[in-house]
Amino acid sequence: MFLTLSRIVKFGFQDVWRNFWLSLATIMILILTLFSVNLLLSLRIIGQAAVDNLKNRVDISIYLKEGVSEDKALGLKARLANLDNVQEVSYVSQADALEAFRRQHQDNPEILQALQELDKNPLTSSLTIKPRDPDQYNQLIEQLSQIQDPLIGSRNFQDNQALLAKINNITNKINDIAIVISSIFVLIMLLVIFNSVKLAIHSHRQEIAIMKLVGASNFFIKAPFLFSSIIYTVAGVILTAAIFYPFLNVLQPYLDTFFFGYNIDLLQYFNHYWWQIAGLQLLGIGTVNLLASYIAVGKYSRI
Amino acid sequence: MIKFKQASKFYPPQTKALDNLSLNIGPGEFVSIVGQSGSGKTTMVKCLIGEERLDSGQIIVGDWDITRLSSSEVPFLRRQIGVIFQDFKLLPKKTLAENVAFALQVCGKSSKKINAIIPPLMKIVGLSEQMDRYPHEVSGGEQQRTAIARALVYQPKILLADEPTGNLDSINAEEIIELLQKINKFGTTVILVTHNREIVNNLNKRVLTISDGRLVSDQARGKYII
Repeated sequence: MFLTLSRIVKFGFQDVWRNFWLSLATIMILILTLFSVNLLLSLRIIGQAAVDNLKNRVDISIYLKEGVSEDKALGLKARLANLDNVQEVSYVSQADALEAFRRQHQDNPEILQALQELDKNPLTSSLTIKPRDPDQYNQLIEQLSQIQDPLIGSRNFQDNQALLAKINNITNKINDIAIVISSIFVLIMLLVIFNSVKLAIHSHRQEIAIMKLVGASNFFIKAPFLFSSIIYTVAGVILTAAIFYPFLNVLQPYLDTFFFGYNIDLLQYFNHYWWQIAGLQLLGIGTVNLLASYIAVGKYSRI
Repeated sequence: MIKFKQASKFYPPQTKALDNLSLNIGPGEFVSIVGQSGSGKTTMVKCLIGEERLDSGQIIVGDWDITRLSSSEVPFLRRQIGVIFQDFKLLPKKTLAENVAFALQVCGKSSKKINAIIPPLMKIVGLSEQMDRYPHEVSGGEQQRTAIARALVYQPKILLADEPTGNLDSINAEEIIELLQKINKFGTTVILVTHNREIVNNLNKRVLTISDGRLVSDQARGKYII
């Protein structure tokens, strides 16, 4: 048994090496496929990170009544911070609000002029609440709406709700489209791999027939081809990683510049999930390769 | 040694490749099977090596009824009968020695045993110098010698040669026939399927003539009569 297995391994490597160009072509197709799959995954990660970032920027403001002291405001802040869905509450004083307003409209002299003509700060202090999970936004608004406190002057969540609903709607549509496109793409790639392996074995059909004629059993004929397909798969996954990582290193600075402040780190993501990604690719591509080899060799060994 | 008993084989729609064919070939004989194209010679060979199955009748090799072999038994049959073909059927990506060794590797012979068998065998067929070359690097005659060496590694009782000289020039063809005769002298039954009138006439051995899937002539020291 050990002798047979060692011969199968030897013939598998021999087959890959002596059919160098055919092996190279098969591995290249695998690399192209896996590279495309990784690119698709990267696009999804970037998209998801961008949407999450956008959602995180949507916060809720509760405006306090005029003349509410900072002590009382901080008391309310502590109460709100204890709510389940709240990640962070920040207090914005009247002076801070005015400063922020001025900064925001620094290019609009008419507004700044109007502000100067008023003899007092027209803005009120507020509490800015950041949700723990942007997807739980509605529950948080419901909780905040139920809080009755004499310090609260106004709460208008409708604008934020509409914005978040719009973001969610767009995200869901993009996700749906991405799933359909990814599925079609992966299916096409699997078919390409399936047919490449079948074609590679088709070129060995005469060899398979000869093996049968000299008395080789089906197992002895099939096993080296199955082993070769494992070699192709492993080589494909490793070489893809060897090409994709330098590519990520080149891409990352551009992503940092383009998505400034969004904290999208593809390199970190792939490092973190490398074993899962490589494992899934080995499993998926390996299964298709083995299946294609098994079917093709079976077809040509019926003599 | 080999018995065809009322063997029949049909190919759709209406081709009778073998039609109630009955013949006996004894151990140690050198038999030429001749006949026109489509007479049924190749079907006989295919049935003998388990590539085709009879529709009716029986084929017996030694004490073994091979008429209804299961697919798992076919490799064992092929290790009992050495076969050589017109197109040599060598593995192109293996050297001549590897081609011969492959036949032993498939039946699980140890590397030590294989290394002991191959060099003397290659010497017998006159290929000691060429054994590390690939098939495309040697002549047709040398390729056919390799195929003969491969057929002999199992030390078969029967050697089946299907048009072995079809792709060779007259000098190489003659050498191959001499080699087959030498093998026959060691006691191996040789069945030569051929179109070559000159070779059959020079051999002066038993000749079976097949026509339309039937045995039409069986001469002990025969000539090519069609």
